[in-house]
Amino acid sequence: MEASRNPGSFRDPSGHVFERDGRIFRALSASAADRFNAVRATGIVERLVADGKLVGYREVAPADAGVDAAHVLEHPRLDVISYPYEWPFEVLRAAALFHLDLHLTLMASGVTLSDASAYNVQFNGVTPIFIDHLSIRPYRPGEFWSGHRQFCEQFLNPLLLRALFGLPHNAWYRGALEGIPVAEVAGLLSLKHKLSWRILAHVVLQDRFQRAAARSERPARRMLGRSFRPDAFTGLLRLLRKWIAGLRPADRGPTTWSGYAGANTYAAAGEAAKKEFIASATAYACPRRAIDLGCNTGVYSAIALSAGARSVIGYDFDHQALDQAYLAAVASPAMSAFLPLHLDAGNPSPDQGWRQRERAGFAARAGGDCVFALAFVHHLAIARNLPLPEVVDWIVDIAPVGVVEFVPKDDATVQTMLALREDIFDGYDESHFAAALARRARIVRRSAVTQTRRTLFLYDRR
Amino acid sequence: MLARIGVDSRLVLDLYASLAFAYLDPGTGSLILQALLGAIAAAAVAITTFWSKIKLVIGRFRGRGQARSSAAGGPEHGGE
Repeated sequence: MEASRNPGSFRDPSGHVFERDGRIFRALSASAADRFNAVRATGIVERLVADGKLVGYREVAPADAGVDAAHVLEHPRLDVISYPYEWPFEVLRAAALFHLDLHLTLMASGVTLSDASAYNVQFNGVTPIFIDHLSIRPYRPGEFWSGHRQFCEQFLNPLLLRALFGLPHNAWYRGALEGIPVAEVAGLLSLKHKLSWRILAHVVLQDRFQRAAARSERPARRMLGRSFRPDAFTGLLRLLRKWIAGLRPADRGPTTWSGYAGANTYAAAGEAAKKEFIASATAYACPRRAIDLGCNTGVYSAIALSAGARSVIGYDFDHQALDQAYLAAVASPAMSAFLPLHLDAGNPSPDQGWRQRERAGFAARAGGDCVFALAFVHHLAIARNLPLPEVVDWIVDIAPVGVVEFVPKDDATVQTMLALREDIFDGYDESHFAAALARRARIVRRSAVTQTRRTLFLYDRR
Repeated sequence: MLARIGVDSRLVLDLYASLAFAYLDPGTGSLILQALLGAIAAAAVAITTFWSKIKLVIGRFRGRGQARSSAAGGPEHGGE
């Protein structure tokens, strides 16, 4: 089979990632291979791989990989690829701290990073891992941190949006792809914000200096030949680390869904039966990867993991619930294979970027062996007016086996949704739902949730 | 004029040296900020070093004074 170059791997011309026969390779030019070998001689690469902080690799002959390159590495495939615009605040923060810690560890071995792309950090469950071996290179004493601006735009500024203004970064980041520009954040700041010297330095002054450089080439020329002390370099990394570790989202009031798990509309008996249903469905599907749509704080993802799912990707649109889910998962060893991501199911991540192939959309990345959609369907079929059979189709396409909960119109949650609007949903009832599901899959089991009129369906289309 | 050319060619060489690995545009604004932070860090180090030297000198001066006074009072203390 032909080698296919990863469409997002084009920025650094000294190497690229490609796939062949389902295997993942990285081609390096002769100069990139020299740099990588120089780094490897320090022993830091092997230590990072052993610690799970850097994706593993093995050297393969270029002819075996079918490419014309000086040097080829083969990497294991990651369970899931996610993008910073899908990460909740706490996941982006974890990625930022990981990136800074990694850089400090590298600097201690005389090694640095050639960029600060957030896309080079991925997650194995809750644990971040670095994926770009090409951007690890020897440090030259006196050099500036060439990735500083990129770090600000791809990590710091998106976090500041939430910390200063209570604005989630996801929609803006998804639109901008390369992060939130320094100039745009600078334009939002109030005088009070500018009194913080860290904001003054990394946002206001950086923006001012950049504007001055755009007006005349003199500032850029004056920078040539200058050097940056190594202790100032590591000091800058530590300063950003301390700042980011201390950021708090400005929106701290409870949202509808962050308190949902503790205060939902049905009784504890129904809750226990639902957990039991999820556990038995997990045992039935034996999922390597389960998808939890509307995961909230991850209560049912935890059940799936304890019932044998090897990993769970949770999706929700509530930022606070997602932050709680991530922090709870980090605190619990049993939840280490859980990753909560932001998703507006009515508008999932598209194929986008260069030639609309650089960053793959939700559909290309989100498949699993089993899907859970608990108290989820009415958010699309009622709140977003999406046709019920299409919602069922979309869920069934995600995984061959799944559990879908149907919440009837007279349920308190749906009644709240309909409180101020006309009921135009004639086809929204359990029989229409069951018929739509039966058209796509075998209904293995259905079970009423105790003390509610909700029903759980286990489907199998294998 | 020659001097000017000499300066320019030095700048060009520096440009090559500093951008030898850079496929990423670091952004002039970021570099100027780093230069500023670097200068502040250097000043802080210089002040700290200067201050520690002053403390050392004061310490020595005091130490000498104390040594002198303890030498003067030596027999009394040493006798116990």
